[in-house]
Amino acid sequence: MKITEEVRISDNGFVFNSRTGDSFNVNPTGLELTKLIAQGHDFDTIKSLFLEKYDLDDLTFEKDFYEFCALIKHHQITSQEDPLDFK
Amino acid sequence: MEKFKILEAMEKIKYEKPSISKINAGMPSKFGLPVKQKVISEIDGIKVSKLIEEYGSPLFVISEKTIREVFADAKRAFENRYPKVQFAWSYKTNYLDAVCSIYHDEGSWAEVVSGFEFEKALSNGVSGSQILFNGPDKSEADLIMAIENNACIHIDHFDELYLLIETSRKLQKKARVAIRVNLDAGVYPIWDRFGFNYENGDAWNAINRIMLAENLDLIGLHTHIGTYIIAQTAYAVAASKLANLYMAIHRKFDYWLKYIDLGGGFASKNTLKGAYMPGNETCPSFDDYAEAISNALISSEIPHENLPVLFLETGRALIDDAGYLLTTVIANKRLNSGRRSMVIDAGVNLLFTSFWYNLGVYPTHELGHAEESTIYGPLCMNIDVVRDAIVFPQVKTGEQLVIERVGAYNITQSMQFITYRPNVVLIDMEGKTHIIRKKESLETFKQAEENPKRK
Repeated sequence: MKITEEVRISDNGFVFNSRTGDSFNVNPTGLELTKLIAQGHDFDTIKSLFLEKYDLDDLTFEKDFYEFCALIKHHQITSQEDPLDFK
Repeated sequence: MEKFKILEAMEKIKYEKPSISKINAGMPSKFGLPVKQKVISEIDGIKVSKLIEEYGSPLFVISEKTIREVFADAKRAFENRYPKVQFAWSYKTNYLDAVCSIYHDEGSWAEVVSGFEFEKALSNGVSGSQILFNGPDKSEADLIMAIENNACIHIDHFDELYLLIETSRKLQKKARVAIRVNLDAGVYPIWDRFGFNYENGDAWNAINRIMLAENLDLIGLHTHIGTYIIAQTAYAVAASKLANLYMAIHRKFDYWLKYIDLGGGFASKNTLKGAYMPGNETCPSFDDYAEAISNALISSEIPHENLPVLFLETGRALIDDAGYLLTTVIANKRLNSGRRSMVIDAGVNLLFTSFWYNLGVYPTHELGHAEESTIYGPLCMNIDVVRDAIVFPQVKTGEQLVIERVGAYNITQSMQFITYRPNVVLIDMEGKTHIIRKKESLETFKQAEENPKRK
C-alpha cells in the first residue's frame, strides 16, 4: 500500500487528490497515520509508534488502522504497490 | 512500581480514532452549520448506564413525569379556550396498564378500538360509561359488552348500525351511540374508510336511522381526520362540519347532543422522513390545535349555553415524548460504499415508528468526530434499518445510546421476532423505577404453544 503520487497532504490535515479532484479533512491521528504510511512504514512499526504515544490497546489500534486503510483506499488516496508482486 | 505505571499511563496522549471526511464544496448542510451533538445521559435523574445495568439492553423507559407534564400542557391549552373538555386516552397508542392508569388518574376516559382494549379498560377500573368504543371491528359479543356497560359506541358503518339495532332489541336495553363521520377537512387522502361520509349525506342518513331506532340513544358525533396532522386548520374545518350536523339534528329533532369528539391525530415532535425541517420546530403546539378547534366551535351557530362537551382522543402527541428506548452498540462496520454503519441491539421490530420517522438517536456522553452513518438493528433481515442517514459520532462496541420519542405505538406495535422483547420500565414521580412489562423468556412462548405428540 502506498500513497498515490497525485495526493498532497498538508500539515493541518487537508488532503487533496489532484487525480480525482477530491479533497478531504483528516483528524490529527488520521494525519499521523497517513504520513507514516506515506513514509513507507509497515503495520508493525506504526502500531508500536502509536501504542507508545497514545493511551491505546493493540486490538483497538488494529481495528481502527485497517478501517482507516480501507477508507483511504476507497477514496483512492492509496493504491496497490505492485499488482505483480508474486513475479 | 504501581505508581510508575500510573505515571506512564498519564503521560500518554488521549487517543482519537483516525478519521477522514470528504469535503463536499458547494453542498452545505440544509440545516446550516453543524450543531453541538445532543447527549442524553440520564432520564429523570437516573443514569442511562444504571438503567441498562439493572434491567438490560435494549430497554424501554417511560417517564411518568413527562406524561403528566405533557398532559397538563394539553389540558391547559384546551380548558383555557373551551368550557367543557374531556380527554379519552387512546389505548392503542400505549395500553400498558401502568401507562393507562396515569392518564385515568389525570382524569382521562378510555378510547378503545376492540373488545380486548375494552376489557383492558374495564380491568383498569374505568367505568363502562366512560369508555368510547371506536373502530370498524365490533363483534356481537363486543357490542353486548358495550351495551351492558353503558359505553359510548361510536358506530363505524351501516352493518354495525343494524347489528347494534338487533343486539339492543335482543337485550331490551338502550345503547348510547355516536357516529363516526369522515369528512373533507383539506387533508388528503381523506380517511373515508372509517365512518359515514359527511359530504355525500351518508352521515345524515345514519343519524336519521339512529333517531328512528327505539333502543339507540344518539349522544355524540365523532370524527378522526387522520394521523400526524400538522395543519391545525384542518381541525377547524372538521369542527365546523360537525357543528353543522349538531345544529341540523337540533333543528330536525329538537334535541341537543351531548358531545362532539374531534378524535386525535395531533402530531408529536418527531420528524417525518422526508421532512425538510425537524418536527420539534414545525409541529403545531397544543395551543395551536386548541385555538383552531375552540374557535370553530364557539364561532359556529351553536348557542353558547348548548355547546357540546369537546372530547379529544389524542394519543401520539401526549405520550411520544415520555418514551425512550435504551440500546447498545453491537458493532461498527464500513460498507462497501465507504459509508460508516453500526449495528445496535434494538431493531425495527421494537421501533415500528422508525418506518416513517427519522428517530432521534443520541449518545450518553460527548464523543468525537461525527460522520454520516447508517444505523442497523440486530435482526438478520435487510429491512432492519433504524436510521438510514444520520450524522453520528464514532462509537465503540458496548457504547450505550438513547432513542427518544418512542412512547407512542412502538410498544403496542412491537413484534416478537427472532429474539425476546425487552423489559419496559416506568420511572415514577419520585424517581423510582418499576418494571411495567417483563422481558419475554422461552417460558412466555411455551405457555402459549402446543406441540402435538407424534407416534
